[in-house]
Amino acid sequence: MTPFRAMRRGYESRMDPVERAVLARVARDVATMVRDETGLPAAAPEPDPNDVPTPHTGSTTRVWNKGLLAPDEITDGDLAKLTGISSVGPMPQDPAVRRLLPDASRDDQAVAGEFRRLTQNDLAREKVERLEAFADLLEPPASRDDPEPEKAPWQTLGRHGAPPPVRVSRESAEAVAGALTDMRLVIAQRLGLESDDDVNALTDQVMWDQQMGREIPVAADGRAARRFWSGVFVAAGFALETLMEVMIADLRGRPRPADGGAEDN
Amino acid sequence: MPLSAPAATVSAGTATQRETEQDAVQRPADPWVTIVWNDPVNLMSYVTYVFESYFGYPQAKAHSLMMRVHKDGKAVVSSGGRERMEVDVQAMHGFGLWATLQETGDAQGAA
Repeated sequence: MTPFRAMRRGYESRMDPVERAVLARVARDVATMVRDETGLPAAAPEPDPNDVPTPHTGSTTRVWNKGLLAPDEITDGDLAKLTGISSVGPMPQDPAVRRLLPDASRDDQAVAGEFRRLTQNDLAREKVERLEAFADLLEPPASRDDPEPEKAPWQTLGRHGAPPPVRVSRESAEAVAGALTDMRLVIAQRLGLESDDDVNALTDQVMWDQQMGREIPVAADGRAARRFWSGVFVAAGFALETLMEVMIADLRGRPRPADGGAEDN
Repeated sequence: MPLSAPAATVSAGTATQRETEQDAVQRPADPWVTIVWNDPVNLMSYVTYVFESYFGYPQAKAHSLMMRVHKDGKAVVSSGGRERMEVDVQAMHGFGLWATLQETGDAQGAA
């Protein structure tokens, strides 16, 4: 993976097919995790008006005192359309998702609960969408559906040829940075990284292994898995750090609306 | 951890001074703050970028706020009415930063 560089049409980095595939896979997995944990409906590509509403897995028939039944086929989404109030997703149980959607107050449950009720669905949807967009950028959907994936456009050229770079448009750069951040937060939780020292030690180890030319073992034992995820964490960090460098340079080079000056530094 | 019932009902039935204060909390003019907490994962460059980009802070202020988060474990990054702070906290969570909102009165009074 090469550092992101500012180009005319966006920020570009060259990544190996393996790097693209792994980052895309992790982005999709994190998106699925956020979706499942927050009760967002599964991906609905294009809403078909003729579609029969599918029963929501979480909805159960409620028997009221006087025998009034809530039909099974009414989903939370239908209720949201009816009332204009989006349904409240459950409090995520997975600690990694809890880190992505943390309590907005440390000591006031009322403040935290109200905030979660108002914002969780929107935040979760934003995170899912940008993770999936990032995965699509790395592995365009057309190439994923290709019956012969080795002929996907971004894989046609060999390692030493010039495969097209990963190009992040300036408009989508914040979303990509956010997706990389969420991926790193989830991996860090899974790896139990709780302090700056933990992160530094892990980064040093990965860099050392790379310098020594050690391949990540394929074996599926716990240590191999840990090394694999450590490598993904560091790779995502490299992508994010180099992306931030060019984004910050652009941000500071932009004239400020307030004082209108300083475009020449 | 269960999503608990609103804590505002805690003092129901006891007409204490606390209840009076809670009513006062509803006044929109009461100042709240947004606090960003340190975490070992977020990059210093990213946190600085967020403070510059989202809040529009000058480079020096964004950098010193980031350093305060990094060294002191937290920093107040904005203040205002509760709704405004909820918007800021939501934005911070969107960026992946760990943020909370708090009443400024609580900041001094809380144990």
